[in-house]
Amino acid sequence: MACLAWDLHFSLGELGYNMTVNLRALAHKTWRTIASIQSGVVLLILVVILSAVGTIVLQRPTTEPDEMQSAYSPHVLRILDAVGLTDVFHSWWFLGVVLLVSLCITAASIDRFPNSWRYFSRPYKYPDESFRRASHPQKSLAIADEESGLVAAERALHSLGFKPERVVREDHLREDHFGIFAERHRISELAVYIVHASLLLIFFGTVVDGIWGWRGYLSLNEGQSSNIVELHDGSTRTLPFAIRCDAAGQENYKDGTPKKWWSKLAVVEDGRDVQKKEIVVNDPLLYNGVRFYQSSYGPNGKVDKFVLVATPSNGSGEKQEVGLAVNDTVSLDADTTVRFAEFFPDYAVRDGQVYRKSNQLENPAAHLVVTSKRAGKDFDVWLPAMDGVADNSLAPYQFQATDLKMGHFTGLQVSHEPGQWGVWSGVVLMGIGLAFVFYVVHMRFWVVPVRDPKTGKNSLWIGGTANRNRDAFEQRFNDLVELVEEELKPIPKTFTRTRVATVSGN
Amino acid sequence: MARVKVEQQQPATGVTLIVLVGLAIAFLLFMAFLNVVKSGNLLNETNLLFAALIFYSGAGALYLGFGITGTESYVKFASLATGLGLIANTAAIAHRWYEAGHAPFSSVYEMLLSFVWTLAVLTLVAEKKYGVKVIGTVTMPVAIVGVVLMQLLRTDVHPLVPALQSTWLHVHVTLAMLAYAACALSFALAAMFLIQDNVKTETFLAATSASTLAIYASVVLTRFEKWGGLSLVAWNPEQKSEVFLSRGVRLFVTIPDLGWLMTLTLLVVASPLVFYGLARWKHNDSFLTLANRAVFLSILLQVMTLVMFLLRASDGRYPSLDADGLFPTSLAASPFILSGLVGGVFISLLYLLLVWRRPDLGRLLPSADNLDRITYKTICLAFPLLTLMIASGAYWANQTWGSYWSWDPKETWAAITWLVYALYLHMRITRGWRGRRAAYFAIGGFAVVMFTFFGVTYLLPGLHAYA
Repeated sequence: MACLAWDLHFSLGELGYNMTVNLRALAHKTWRTIASIQSGVVLLILVVILSAVGTIVLQRPTTEPDEMQSAYSPHVLRILDAVGLTDVFHSWWFLGVVLLVSLCITAASIDRFPNSWRYFSRPYKYPDESFRRASHPQKSLAIADEESGLVAAERALHSLGFKPERVVREDHLREDHFGIFAERHRISELAVYIVHASLLLIFFGTVVDGIWGWRGYLSLNEGQSSNIVELHDGSTRTLPFAIRCDAAGQENYKDGTPKKWWSKLAVVEDGRDVQKKEIVVNDPLLYNGVRFYQSSYGPNGKVDKFVLVATPSNGSGEKQEVGLAVNDTVSLDADTTVRFAEFFPDYAVRDGQVYRKSNQLENPAAHLVVTSKRAGKDFDVWLPAMDGVADNSLAPYQFQATDLKMGHFTGLQVSHEPGQWGVWSGVVLMGIGLAFVFYVVHMRFWVVPVRDPKTGKNSLWIGGTANRNRDAFEQRFNDLVELVEEELKPIPKTFTRTRVATVSGN
Repeated sequence: MARVKVEQQQPATGVTLIVLVGLAIAFLLFMAFLNVVKSGNLLNETNLLFAALIFYSGAGALYLGFGITGTESYVKFASLATGLGLIANTAAIAHRWYEAGHAPFSSVYEMLLSFVWTLAVLTLVAEKKYGVKVIGTVTMPVAIVGVVLMQLLRTDVHPLVPALQSTWLHVHVTLAMLAYAACALSFALAAMFLIQDNVKTETFLAATSASTLAIYASVVLTRFEKWGGLSLVAWNPEQKSEVFLSRGVRLFVTIPDLGWLMTLTLLVVASPLVFYGLARWKHNDSFLTLANRAVFLSILLQVMTLVMFLLRASDGRYPSLDADGLFPTSLAASPFILSGLVGGVFISLLYLLLVWRRPDLGRLLPSADNLDRITYKTICLAFPLLTLMIASGAYWANQTWGSYWSWDPKETWAAITWLVYALYLHMRITRGWRGRRAAYFAIGGFAVVMFTFFGVTYLLPGLHAYA
């Protein structure tokens, strides 16, 4: 029994040990997988495929429901809906893949960064022999003595705009060796991390917007104010301030197509106007992180002012002009009033009833009610006259429409995108990063005087590398070699020692 | 032996071609001059474009002559003609800009104007800076087709609807044109690399057949109507615009029988691919001879289809399934089909050029190494342009619609293009992809660009209905 217990204990212990080892190995392996370029490529290909599917299958947010139904059979539609293919870009798996991509970029950057950082923070300044052998391009020039060679190289580098630096290295015999190191745009080695970081910043911004942002629509008549936004998913959102439209309008080209829509908006908070702006398409109003964009403009089908000339039916008395809005009542004489009861921008008559066909000002009709105290009753008057609906001639006044001013609405897109600063700063950062990645070249030059042990002759070894655009670099390298040769011709009389940096055991 | 023969022929053919092209240009300029004298208006856009066409055609002929015979002396005159054409093209753009009061990037016509201009500039840069002289053989015919298309498309200055009145739009479209032109150049360079890298001619055969098949398949699949008709957007000649049934819904007319012709051409352009497959499967090269003949036949049929399309679409009135009555259509109403058909003929002709001149091409093109490097450099230029294009588009969308990204198909496909080129760069930089794999990747990237540019507008619906 005891034996068994000990056995069990032992094996459990071993299991635990194995488990930690396995877990560590597993974690390491997972990390390697995530940070590898292969998984990055696979994930990017996945994003490409999923996005492509999202453009081919009709998407619910951008398609009318009946259009969806006519495009797919109910059965297919049900499957597409169930799998989430009708709203790819808002589905959890698309978000998941994008998050995995971010994770992959982060991991790959973390994995590779220390190496690049070492490269960046501790530049290789004195090339050893094996490096010199393998380096390309390189050139050896004959020199009289070490110092003249080094000075010539320094001058040549200066004239090319570099800041050469003297380096000293001790060899195993504790003997000093001098060399020259010059470089430009070391930051280019880190540029790729700027690009990756910018991409993450953009992702971060969009995720923030996906969670806390919203978009909606607000329609205002001239003079109206509102603080309720209709969101795209059908719900509404109440803003802590109201927006009022003071005026709105449209300007046309000569051929009648719209050229400009504008709205004069005012932000009303606690009963006070806190901000006013005339917005046009492409120029929104921003208040407290909420943006109001001009998106449409048109007649709202409501009458702003209806101007009429009223003439007494019995021929006695004066013509008079009255202006009415819907539901306004005006006195025509001591015991007669007229009320603007109804307005139809586009009417149709059926079975003695008047119907509204549309909100477009196509075929308008007005319903007036004339009340006469003397007659003790109401008379219906229709403009235009409608036989079978009412008889205008019975009324004590006859009316003639002279002017009709229609009200207009302005359609505003409203959006709150708290993450967009992340997006825009990411975009700017990416621009900078890409400029560095593609067009800023890290160039390095090394100059080392070498004494041939057999012949005892001195030569000046010149080498250089660039991290991209190597053919252009070779041209520059040749320029440098030419300049050094040039400098070597006249023997310099004076020389100054530039900075001396000690590099030990690099 | 062949090479020596070509070199012996050079002096004679060289002078003849240059003299002929020079005479042709002189004749056309004379005709144009007569036309100007008659109309009394020298600097109108049509005349400028006509001049550009004359010079580009001369350049195209000379570059083609260089491509076929390898006579170096043609190139000097060809680039001179390109330069003159470029001046006329620039003047046309400036004229239109002045007349419209906004940068000319708001319609297909205006974008073509800028695209052709960019193409000509890049041709000269590639030739002068990188010594890729033969590039003009490919790009100048494309430019000629572009200018011809411009003459056919509407030339009226259209007022901009409110959403399009933004500086950012111009920035966005300019960047798009530059980026796409750079992608096109990288494609041409990658294809040249494959030629220099001794890729078998039959691979190009399969690619030619597949791309023409894709063009005809997308036309037939989307536009084939009952009883063999072909649907085209109706055109209102008075207003010079497409006919809309309601907002965003275009009226289509059906041209009878053209659908059958398209289907027949589809089958013929697909046949080289079938023969190629058979040759691979049966290990029998005699199928390849058949395939080459099929390409030849397909060119004849494609030209016939193109001519029929040009004749029937530019003239006559046709019935519609959605409305009563007969409606006219116009080439301007179907710019994408037109450019697809012209492109198909052009691709097939390029293949023929390859088949005939393969041994000489090796000598005319820069070395494979150089081409590989220049392809990469072009993509290094295209990628930041693509990035900026997407960013400026997002900024514009944010100003206009209140949302910087709304996943509409054009946006999504622009992002896909960007990802594909990002993959190319990663493969090249971190995995050391060079040579053939990189070239195939660059070609695939350009296929995605073409889909984004044409396919999305034509096959997928979206917000970018303006473009």
